[in-house]
Amino acid sequence: MKTRKKKLRLLLVLLILLVVGLLISLLEGPVETNFNDLWNLIINNDSTFRTIFIDLRLSRALLAFLVGASLSLSGAILQGYFQNPMAGPFVVGVSSGASFGAVLCIYLGLNIRIIGFSVQSIFAFASGFAIVSLVYLLSQRKGVFKVETLLLTGIAAGALASALTSFMIFLKADSFEQAVFWLLGSFALSDWNQITAVVPYFFLCFIIAQWLAKDMNLLVLGDDVAQSLGCPVSSVRKIFLAISTFLAASSVSVSGIIGFVGLIVPHWIRILIGPDHRHLFLFSSLTGGIFLIYSDLLARTLLRGELPIGIITAVVGAPFFIYLLSQRK
Amino acid sequence: MKSKKIHAVFLLIFLNAVLFGNQQTTIKDDLDFPFVMTSPPQRIISLAPNITEILFDLDLGEKVVGVTRYCDFPEKALKKEKIGGMIDPNLEKVIALKPDLIIGFRGNPLRIIERLRGLQLPLFVLEMGTNLETVFIIIEKIGTITQKEEKAEILVESLKKRYSKTQTALRNVQHEPRVFLSIHGTGLWTCGKGSFLNDLVGKAKGVNIAGNIPRKWLHYNREQLIHDNPEVIIILSKSETEFSKVKEWIKNEAHLKGIKAVETDRIYFLDENLATRPGPRLIDALEELARILHPQFFKEER
Repeated sequence: MKTRKKKLRLLLVLLILLVVGLLISLLEGPVETNFNDLWNLIINNDSTFRTIFIDLRLSRALLAFLVGASLSLSGAILQGYFQNPMAGPFVVGVSSGASFGAVLCIYLGLNIRIIGFSVQSIFAFASGFAIVSLVYLLSQRKGVFKVETLLLTGIAAGALASALTSFMIFLKADSFEQAVFWLLGSFALSDWNQITAVVPYFFLCFIIAQWLAKDMNLLVLGDDVAQSLGCPVSSVRKIFLAISTFLAASSVSVSGIIGFVGLIVPHWIRILIGPDHRHLFLFSSLTGGIFLIYSDLLARTLLRGELPIGIITAVVGAPFFIYLLSQRK
Repeated sequence: MKSKKIHAVFLLIFLNAVLFGNQQTTIKDDLDFPFVMTSPPQRIISLAPNITEILFDLDLGEKVVGVTRYCDFPEKALKKEKIGGMIDPNLEKVIALKPDLIIGFRGNPLRIIERLRGLQLPLFVLEMGTNLETVFIIIEKIGTITQKEEKAEILVESLKKRYSKTQTALRNVQHEPRVFLSIHGTGLWTCGKGSFLNDLVGKAKGVNIAGNIPRKWLHYNREQLIHDNPEVIIILSKSETEFSKVKEWIKNEAHLKGIKAVETDRIYFLDENLATRPGPRLIDALEELARILHPQFFKEER
């Protein structure tokens, strides 16, 4: 009962943070605006302010939220999947792999849609999935699964994918801007199309994850135990790996690589409300989204121009990662 | 409701065309995107310094409402609202200025161009090309979209006249010196085949030693530089002080001592802003280069 109350309180706090974050995102920007302008927009529907508030700032904040939610959900799933608190889309190499796929697609000049999916996100998904499978296979030595191997292989594979990404960018255009976008992430050019591209994937994956959350709770006990308790282990595992990769890939294809979000957010939530995946998935998504809204606010207001958001999340996330490493026995 | 509005707009356009002749025309920009011309633009945003310079030369300074932070010529451009840089123009600022014409170029990231289009902004994108002649085309195109064709024509004619004057002066050049262009300070950065700087050196009757390399900008190999042994080094920089710094660096670099240009002290300054912007002042840069490479043909002028 007590934890229920705690969860409700946390939910309330998160919702307040979300509303405040969205409001600040709406009001803060290079063009000075205040509540009156926002009011004017609602009353008079001024087209200039509509573009600035709705098409630029709101779409940006919402995309940041969606990407943060996707990455954190992906991280929460991967941490359960690998039974390891240090897994995450960035650490396991999915993000870098997905970014490689997206850039490869640009490099080949492919820009078509197949049944509603852009080829770019299919590429991102495929290469992200390839990397995570590779990392998974390599970290299973003689049937024994070692965490250290997982992390190191993930980092090595991620570095390789990033190097190849940079190589393609270097070959294709002398564009520094492209490289920064794909390797450090940005929401500077977000628009509603990107939101409509990400929303269905996110909700679909979220519903599946939530639906299988009980099975994830069993998986944490070990595959044998889970199997004996009636969980179809191998198919559940396949589904989880697929959706976590898909979440990471779809967010990378709209915002580039944004590291550490998927790693640290599920942690915070586990500390706050415990390891039950039925709640962990929801709260991680919500918190991850809010975290990126505020990170993006920092990214676009800290300096005169824009900072890549990956710098902000790394500055917050990397020390936390080191802290986690030092806490391990 | 909305479709009625659109119908009304079409009707107006139609009436306009019938009553006042063919006032509305659609032309394509250099990315093959249609651009609808109506009345002469009153609020222009320029996304590159050379575009700003051309606009001011076409007497459109008053109409320019936004420029990049790099637009520093003519001086009046400094007073205009800054919309950010060429690769990071700020969308909000662009929108807040309510432009009726935004002139961009292929150096603005495609993602930004697409985003500006997505916001239904009146954008015209120019290809900057790889040679001096493109400058004339750019000026004419800007003249067309701003409906200053006549003024543009006069400007292009005067530039072409100056261009052919240098060519006449250089007609008897026997030996075309090997040139190394140093850009971006002390790093042996230079430009290859795809840059109009390379074209400029050729037109000033010199040979860019990196002219065969199919890249616009590149980092030149030190060994290659020694092997190519340029007779002239031209340092592009923003100021004389910056130039002396780079010159000192080259002269003190032990490996480069044997290079002919260093030995004979043929190391010259060229104003970066003239030579790297494909605008009207590129002709100034050409004349300057021609004087540097072949001073004997310009004696009487001085």
